[in-house]
Amino acid sequence: MCRPWANRDVRPYNVGAVNTNSLVLLVLLVLAVGAFGYNALRLFRLLRLGKREDRFDRIGERLKSLLIYVLGQKRVLEDPYSGVLHLFIFWGFIVFSLGTIEILGKGLYKGFSLPLLGSGQPHQYLAFLQDVFALLVIAGVLMATYRRLVLRPERLGGHFSDAAVILVLIFGLMVTHLGASGLNILLNRNPSASWTPVSRVLARFFAGLDLANGTEPFLHSLFWWSHILLLLGFLVYIPFSKHLHIITAAFNVFFRSLRPQGALAPMGLEATETFGVARIWEFTWKQLLDLYACTECGRCQDQCPAYLTGKPLSPKKLILDLQGHLLSQGPALMKRGRSPGNGNGHALVGEVILEDELWACTTCGACQAACPVFIEHIDKAVDMRRNLVLMESRFPYEVQQVFKNLENNFNPWALGWDSRADWAKGLGVKLLSENGEAEILYWVGCAGSFDERNRKVSRAMVNVLQAGDVDFAILGTEEKCTGDAARRIGNEYLFQILVRENIETLDKYRVRKVLTTCPHCYNTLKNEYPQFGGNFEVVHSTEFIADLIDVGRLKFRKDQELVVTYHDSCYLGRHNGIYKAPRRVLRAIPGTKVVELPHSREKGFCCGAGGGRMWMEEKIGKKINLERTEEVLAAKVSAVGTACPFCLTMLEDGIKSKEAGESLKALDLVELVAQAI
Amino acid sequence: MKIIVCLKQVPDTAATIKVKPDGSGVETEGITYVINPYDEFALEEALRIKERLGEGEVTVITLGPPKAKEALRTALAMGADKGVHLSDPAFEGGDSYATAKALARAIQGLPYDLILCGKQAVDDDAAQVGPAMAELLGLPQACVITKLEIDANRKKAVVHRQIEGASEIMEVSLPAVFTAQKGLNEPRYPSLKGIMGAKKKEIAEHNPSSLGLSPEEVGLAGSKVKILKLSPPPSRATGKILEGEPREQASQLVKLLREEAKII
Repeated sequence: MCRPWANRDVRPYNVGAVNTNSLVLLVLLVLAVGAFGYNALRLFRLLRLGKREDRFDRIGERLKSLLIYVLGQKRVLEDPYSGVLHLFIFWGFIVFSLGTIEILGKGLYKGFSLPLLGSGQPHQYLAFLQDVFALLVIAGVLMATYRRLVLRPERLGGHFSDAAVILVLIFGLMVTHLGASGLNILLNRNPSASWTPVSRVLARFFAGLDLANGTEPFLHSLFWWSHILLLLGFLVYIPFSKHLHIITAAFNVFFRSLRPQGALAPMGLEATETFGVARIWEFTWKQLLDLYACTECGRCQDQCPAYLTGKPLSPKKLILDLQGHLLSQGPALMKRGRSPGNGNGHALVGEVILEDELWACTTCGACQAACPVFIEHIDKAVDMRRNLVLMESRFPYEVQQVFKNLENNFNPWALGWDSRADWAKGLGVKLLSENGEAEILYWVGCAGSFDERNRKVSRAMVNVLQAGDVDFAILGTEEKCTGDAARRIGNEYLFQILVRENIETLDKYRVRKVLTTCPHCYNTLKNEYPQFGGNFEVVHSTEFIADLIDVGRLKFRKDQELVVTYHDSCYLGRHNGIYKAPRRVLRAIPGTKVVELPHSREKGFCCGAGGGRMWMEEKIGKKINLERTEEVLAAKVSAVGTACPFCLTMLEDGIKSKEAGESLKALDLVELVAQAI
Repeated sequence: MKIIVCLKQVPDTAATIKVKPDGSGVETEGITYVINPYDEFALEEALRIKERLGEGEVTVITLGPPKAKEALRTALAMGADKGVHLSDPAFEGGDSYATAKALARAIQGLPYDLILCGKQAVDDDAAQVGPAMAELLGLPQACVITKLEIDANRKKAVVHRQIEGASEIMEVSLPAVFTAQKGLNEPRYPSLKGIMGAKKKEIAEHNPSSLGLSPEEVGLAGSKVKILKLSPPPSRATGKILEGEPREQASQLVKLLREEAKII
């Protein structure tokens, strides 16, 4: 039996058979690489407009991200159709990149061989992979074309011509590769044919054509040169296309934020003249790299509650508008230098990004969770908000009173700080100031302390804690707002004042473990307070109750007979990855049937209150809470469980607006548990 | 245009006010202090006039304990240019007259084209310092204004005042004293840039002698009105929600109105 791989001279392309002019190839190669290099360098230099930021830490974790999200395409595959077609094209690209080096090398110098491959067998593997992937890539391109022309998902939006150019180029590359490879077999009777099944079929096809003598070598040259020209054309085109992501995406994934997802970037308030980002060069280099990495896939937009309810914000558009601005204004800025007041470029807000776009963001993180290349939208929006608030005192009118309330009464409502613990009267709750010690500090939060509806949740929490025989206490009037909303609206100054005061209080009582019912308090205390020296464990009520149930400290007595769904809070779910605990709690309540909503877990739909939106009027488009309430109503459940005071408020308001209070109740999970014990 | 704005630091409107057991005053511990909201309208109007004219200077002045300097700093952060602080134990406990007298004396030493105050302070609700100051300075005054138009060239101002069921529009020659009512404007929120900048702005300190006044002329000693006693309003009983069938509720209501409220 013939064993072709035993033949050590087999190569994917036997270039020697082509009458190539190495000099012509060399000139074209130099021109194309030169053009690419020039434009790539130009883009690279624009990144240097950005401020410093250290993203070179934790290299191991970064390499792991590359494996999972670039080579493994984990996020891309979350949408099966586009995921699979992309997987074909992406892996085809990897395989062909190796092959391409080999072709070009051989075109220049016959004896060239990829150093890592050595000689012999590995080349046959490569030939095999190229042959198969050429077909898979063609399948991918056809799928992509069908998607662009027929399926036309809204998220892709315009820029069809760019996509068309890319698809035609890739298609052309594959066809010319297979054509050349097939003819190669025909011309040389190459024994490696057994490694290239697709090319062999083509070879048979060409043989069947019974071409005139000399046509086959000519056709082979034609395919070969077309392949080379398409390849070089592709190279020249990349820096001007969304296809730039084939270079930038991997870097962007490598340099991704390894901060806890819910934590905003810390910001120094001393030794600086300006705060936040007003102009493009005030972003960091990584924030600018994000702009290059965007693939325009629109997955962010598809998940954005603001976009889906008719607000002017689309995370995709935000990134592309900033990208367009960087590309058009960047070069001039490079020349002029970037010191303030030195003709330093346009203000972003108002000129590039609309104020309404900026304030529409609920910081729910759906865009970031969907982005296959880990673009960080929220930090950009908040940095621009910071500039408006801290430099220009520009923000939605309603917010001013909230800031003042936080300053004077340490809660967003205009209620006296000294009434913070009134909800607990008569419940026998210990105060740390009286007892000085408890195993757990129950951090009640502003909503749980002041909002009439959410005070019921706090009282239910106390019932559950007492039933579970938990040693806990509260801070009472010493507790202050964690500053979550202030920070997300952009008032870092006010946020840091609140943080310092709270940390001082927590340190005073040597608090080690904090329990919250509010995911915003949870996220801020857990992920942001450590930025300022906070050092304590933080648990959310859903996790805590799930544990109490697990160890048998809560016994359910009453049957609930309830069909219930769970609405994921963005700051509990996406920002902190707590999906299981709330569902475990619900399932533990006897007689409860749990139904999942279409938008749940990582794709949970915001209630509309995050990012300080709780305190702003929603004047544009459909109200986000109504959109969500309609989804809940469609699930035909008798109760929707929440684990966040703002979600509870928003859903209750939604239910009231829909006049559906008879059939649907919104209840915090803590209340559902308290009812059942 | 040189504008002077008088400010008072008062307890936050959401603060729980507790009267001292002897009725001599209120407990100050645990109280958050803010700029009197009506004075904020006055300050905002001054800042807007300056911005509109593209020139000018806004000086904020307050009489109060050392803590009142916070109110001046906030005003400077909002955009005022200079601060004047009348701070001395001798100033304490003064009535509207004694306060107006000290403020008028301080203002006499400053250049001004316009003086703005809040219509009243939300703590004692006296509404007298503005008018009294105008009298002491011999200036025209218009109180409770909701709109102010300045004609800097003619040294005139047109003001709108709220009166019962209508508004009164008056032309007043400058300099004059105006007191601000809610609705005049929406005060701004100080930016961090403003807060940082305010740290470098000057606040002049005064005591009675630097104003050419004797300690007997200011504060409690110089007052014409003395507070005899403060007492809190009676606490309101919580509302009751009646339950049951309409018929039961009605009979319960009649019973309560007759026996508890004693009005039928």
